[in-house]
Amino acid sequence: MTMTLEFNRQTLPFETDFQIAGTRCFLSTNSHEVLQAAARLRKLEKQTSVPSFEMEVIVDSALDRAPERLAYFRGLKHIVFAIVPPRCFLAYDLLRRRVHAVLSITAAQDHSFWDTLLLPITIGLMGTTVGVAPIHSACLERNGRGFLVAGVSGAGKSTLTAALAQLGFGLVSDDWTYISERQCGLVAYGLSSPVKLLPDAVRFFPELRAFAPRTTLNGELAYEIDPVGSTMGFIAKNVSQPRRVFLLERTASRGCHFVPCRHEYVRDFFEKTGERLPDELREAKAFRARIVQAIAACPSWILRTGESPQITANALDDFLEEADHAAV
Amino acid sequence: MQQYESSHHNDPLDLLRRFVPTPLKAVYRISSLRVIVKTNDITLLPAFPLGADLDAVGESVLEWKLVRDADSPGLLGEPVFLTSGALTVVEMGTACMLALDHERRELLGFIGADVDAHTYQEFLVPFLCRMTNEAFIEDRYQDLLSDEDAND
Repeated sequence: MTMTLEFNRQTLPFETDFQIAGTRCFLSTNSHEVLQAAARLRKLEKQTSVPSFEMEVIVDSALDRAPERLAYFRGLKHIVFAIVPPRCFLAYDLLRRRVHAVLSITAAQDHSFWDTLLLPITIGLMGTTVGVAPIHSACLERNGRGFLVAGVSGAGKSTLTAALAQLGFGLVSDDWTYISERQCGLVAYGLSSPVKLLPDAVRFFPELRAFAPRTTLNGELAYEIDPVGSTMGFIAKNVSQPRRVFLLERTASRGCHFVPCRHEYVRDFFEKTGERLPDELREAKAFRARIVQAIAACPSWILRTGESPQITANALDDFLEEADHAAV
Repeated sequence: MQQYESSHHNDPLDLLRRFVPTPLKAVYRISSLRVIVKTNDITLLPAFPLGADLDAVGESVLEWKLVRDADSPGLLGEPVFLTSGALTVVEMGTACMLALDHERRELLGFIGADVDAHTYQEFLVPFLCRMTNEAFIEDRYQDLLSDEDAND
């Protein structure tokens, strides 16, 4: 049977707004559950003038009876289609900065669905159009000073992030950092997404045996550790100001080496690892290029390591201690 | 004629497959509209006659960009329409995702691997034509209303 869902003032009688990753979301819905989820988010930040987008959410109980579906993401020009497990469908209109979502009641009520799926996916897809560039890197903080850790797939970014977080560094993000530019400089948001560790990380973190690895959205099997209230001792932070950049490289030889890095190298790295954007999103492309340029302007090092995540984390801790000392 | 298999599209920086090339192009007439169809799969070109004059002037033009998605299995599900202002989205499971942008006059879509030529020509093509027609007639009606308001 064909189903038609109209998104308009009659079908979406409830309205509210909340802030997420430095942007404001104007939300309209037919559901009290969605209003409650948004009310929880309203408390997070207080900023007055920030870019905004609209989110229109219809909650339909028919979805609760539908079969579960696998994740699916496809895009053409300014439109992105998303099926988010277990049963939700979203359409993103990146030119008009608008999200249309159809959620099951179960998903609408589930705060974990909002925090670990709906909001990170939405900011990941919409971000560059509303002044928050998703950058593929971890972000951590030591003594109130933020820094980014990036690296190619398999370099050990997530295990190093986990080791740093266990060492007492503030954990903003593990995989994707959402970066905007304010008067004070770069600001990084993390959205408290889970830290994703592949099954072989258990040799460095035996405590992972207490968890069960799960199939993640991209089909990989991984441990997903919630940084908020983590049993691994992480200290989660929502926001930081990154001032340094480390590009992680694995080597076969022992030791940890910090090699000062040219701005152009850092810029090329982030440009070559960023999602391709279509010509329809020209402003978004230009915005992301500005953010990458600003990141590349930070003092940067290639961190070459042949050591375990814990030894590398200790070496980075010592390095930052010295760098902070020198800066004073 | 060659076609571009989207399963060969392994660009890690294009996870959404926005940049799957659609080199095949044909022009049709649907009612009073000239429709340019761009695709990566020859079987997604409608089978009805190419009725449009390429050089016609003053005609309304609409573009269909249809990507055969070799990595999306499954049969067509029941259509779910999402309508909001200038945008109509239709989801039939991962076998077919469509978005019609009335303002930009574009119909964008992914058609899954298991949607065969018969189903596509007999069901989806008439469906796409209906969507296109309805949207265009409605938009023209709205334009007429706006003109009348302006004249009043």
